[in-house]
Amino acid sequence: MTIVVGFEGSANKIGVGIIQDGKVLSNPRRTYITPPGQGFMPSDTARHHRSCILDVLQEALEEAKIKPQDVDCVAYTKGPGMGAPLLSVAIVARTVAQLWKKPLLGVNHCIGHIEMGRLITGAENPSVLYVSGGNTQVIAYSERCYRIFGETIDIAVGNCLDRFARVLKISNDPSPGYNIEQMAKKGKKFVELPYTVKGMDVSFSGILSYIEDMSHKMLSSGECTPEDLCFSLQETLFSMLVEITERAMAHCGSQEVLIVGGVGCNVRLQEMMGVMCQERGAKLFATDERFCIDNGAMIAQAGWEMFRSGQVTNLQDSWITQRYRTDEVEVTWRD
Amino acid sequence: MTETYKLELFPDWKATLLLFKNVQNSADLRRKAIDGSIDGTLLNPAMIVDPFQILVAVNKAIHLQMLGKMKTRTLNSEILFNLSPTNNISEAFKKFGLADNDSGVLIVLTEDGTKKSQEIISQIDGEQVPITALTEFTDIKKVKKMYKLTAQEEKISTVLEAVLCRMSAKDVV
Amino acid sequence: MEGDAESRSRLRTRAFLDGLSLMKQGAEARVYRGRFLGKAAVVKERFPKAYRHPALDGKLTHRRTAQEVRSIVRCRKAGISAPVVYFVDYVTNCIYLEDIEESTTVRDHIISMQQCGKEASNLCALADKIGQVLARMHDEDVIHGDLTTSNMLLRPPCDDHNLVLIDFGLSFISALPEDKGVDLYVLEKAFLSTHPNTEEIFRALLQSYSSNSKKSGPVIKKLDEVRLRGRKRSMVG
Repeated sequence: MTIVVGFEGSANKIGVGIIQDGKVLSNPRRTYITPPGQGFMPSDTARHHRSCILDVLQEALEEAKIKPQDVDCVAYTKGPGMGAPLLSVAIVARTVAQLWKKPLLGVNHCIGHIEMGRLITGAENPSVLYVSGGNTQVIAYSERCYRIFGETIDIAVGNCLDRFARVLKISNDPSPGYNIEQMAKKGKKFVELPYTVKGMDVSFSGILSYIEDMSHKMLSSGECTPEDLCFSLQETLFSMLVEITERAMAHCGSQEVLIVGGVGCNVRLQEMMGVMCQERGAKLFATDERFCIDNGAMIAQAGWEMFRSGQVTNLQDSWITQRYRTDEVEVTWRD
Repeated sequence: MTETYKLELFPDWKATLLLFKNVQNSADLRRKAIDGSIDGTLLNPAMIVDPFQILVAVNKAIHLQMLGKMKTRTLNSEILFNLSPTNNISEAFKKFGLADNDSGVLIVLTEDGTKKSQEIISQIDGEQVPITALTEFTDIKKVKKMYKLTAQEEKISTVLEAVLCRMSAKDVV
Repeated sequence: MEGDAESRSRLRTRAFLDGLSLMKQGAEARVYRGRFLGKAAVVKERFPKAYRHPALDGKLTHRRTAQEVRSIVRCRKAGISAPVVYFVDYVTNCIYLEDIEESTTVRDHIISMQQCGKEASNLCALADKIGQVLARMHDEDVIHGDLTTSNMLLRPPCDDHNLVLIDFGLSFISALPEDKGVDLYVLEKAFLSTHPNTEEIFRALLQSYSSNSKKSGPVIKKLDEVRLRGRKRSMVG
C-alpha cells in the first residue's frame, strides 16, 4: 500500500490530491480568477496560492481520512509553469516532507496529466493530445519516453482561447474556455479563420492576431455575433488539433487517443475527436473537468508511479523549472 | 486509320481522331465547323505533340459540360480551349484552331464517332494519314514557345508532360 | 439542377475509382492506381472529414487540392521532379497523376539500407541529393508543408537517387526564411523520429541544402530559432 500526496500550482489552480494505489482519496482545488479582460500575473497568482494552500492541504487530509504519518511520499510539480506559483507550492511541499520525514518527488506537470488520464480512463498505450493554457502537444510513448510528435510552434491552444476571451471581455469565471464553449453552442454562422497545420505541428498565433484585428470590425458591422466568433474559433482550432492527432496516430499505428489538459474537457473537442476515432476504428478516452483541469491528484499519481519504480528527489535537487519538456523525463515505470 | 479512344470516366463516350495532310479546303471546313454542319473540333496539328494531349482536353471538356461549367459555348470549342495554356479564348482559337490555308488538319470527334466519321471524311479534300504520323506535323519549337517550356524543366520532363501540366493547372495558376 | 449534375458526377467518379486498386488509405486521402486515358495513373481522392464543420471542410479540401496542383507545376517548371498532373476534378477533389511506376519511398529505402548494414556513405549521398532538391524548391519559394521521408519517392533503380517529391497538399508559396525554416524543422522531426540514429545523415542533408541554396543563411538561422522555441517555450498560460 502506497499513499502519495501531490501538490500542484503551476498556473492559476492550486490543488492537493491524495492517491492510494490507483484510488483518489481526495483532490480539493482552488482557482485564482481574474476580472474579465485580464490574464493572471505570476506574483498575484503566487500570492493567491500561498494564501490558501494550507487550507487545501488540511481539506485533502481530512477528506482522505489519513494522517501525515500514513503518507509515503510527497510529490510536487517541478515544472513547467510560472516561476512564482511553482516556487510557492514547492516550498510548502519541501517543508511538509521534512516535517513529516517523508521522501520528496519533483514531477513533470505534463506527465502528471498523462498518468492521471491513463489511470482514470484505463487507456493502455494511447496517443495523447495534451491541450491546456500553456501546452499543445501530441505525444506517444516509446522506449521509456513520452515522445512529442506534434506540437504548437508558437502559442498554446488554451492561451489562444484565453486571449480571445480577453478581446471580447468574456468572463474568467469559472474559466474563459468554459464560457467560450457555452457561447459557441449558440453560434450559427461559420466565419472563416486562418488554418495552419505544418506536418504534425500547428500554429495559433496567426489566428489570434487575425481575430484580434478583425473581431471588433465584424461585430460592429453586424457581420457576425460574439457567439458566431466563439463557434468559428472553436471549430477551427479543434479541427487543427484533431487533424494532427490523426496524423500522429497514422504515423505511430496507434488505435487509442487520450485527451488531457484543461482544454481537454471541452465537449465539442471530445465530440470531434470521437468522430475521427470512429472513422478509423480507434478508441477515444477523455476525462471530465475534475481531472482534465490541473489538480493535485495527477501529481500524486505520477509521483506514485515514479516512487514505486524507485525514484526520489533529494532535498538539494528539489528545485523548480519554468521549462521542462515532456520528453526530458525517463519513464522508468513503463515497459 | 481512324483511331477511336475510350474515356474511362465517361463509358458512354468515345473520342475519335482523324488526321489529314495536303488538305485543300481548310477555309471551307472552318466555315462548316462554325455553322455547325461539321460537328467536331478542327485543330492545327502543329501544336499537338501526342494524342494523349487531345484526350486530356476531351476528358476535361466533357466533365465540365456535364457540370454546366464550360468556359466556351460548345463542347467542340471547349476541347480546343482546354488545349491552351492560357484562359484567353480568342488566343486559343488563333493558336490551336485551323487557319484558312493550313494543309494539315486534325479533327476531334466526340460521342458516337463511328457513324459521323465517314460523313466527315468525305467532306475533306485531302489525304487521311494514321494518327501515328502526328509527330511529322508537330512543330516542337512552336509548342515549346506557346507553352513557355524552360530549360530547367526539360531536364526532368518530356515536352508532352510539360504541356499536360499547363493544361490541367491553368485554372489555378 | 446543378446539384443533380454534381451528384451524377460524383457517382461516375465513384464507379471509376471502385474499378481501380486502392493503393493507400491515408488520414485525408485515398490513393488509387489504375489506367486513365490509356496511361498508368494514380488518383488521389481527398474525402470529407466528418469531424470538421462542412464549410471549413469544403474550403480546406478545395484549397489543398488546388494548392497541390499549383505547387507540383511550379516545382516541375523549376526542374524539380513531381508527378505530372493529368486532370483535376474539383467536385470530387480528385487529382489524376502520373504513376511513378516501381518507385520506392525514401523512407523504405533508408530502412532497408540500414537493415542490410550498408552504411552511411550511400545514405549520405542520398541526403546530399535531398538537400539539393529542397534547396532548389525553397529558392522557388515553394514551401512543401509536410516534408517526410514518405513524401519523397525514388525512381528505379533506387541507387540513382532520382528523387520525386509528392503530397503537396499543405504546400504554399512564401519567400519568408521563417516558413522555409519551419519546413526544414518539420522534416527534421519526421526524419529523426522515423529513422533512429540518423543525426549524421540529416546533418549532411542540411549541409547540402546550405551549399546549394542561394538564400540558405537566414533559413538555417530561423531553423535554429524554431528548434530553440520548442526547447525554451515557457509553457505558461
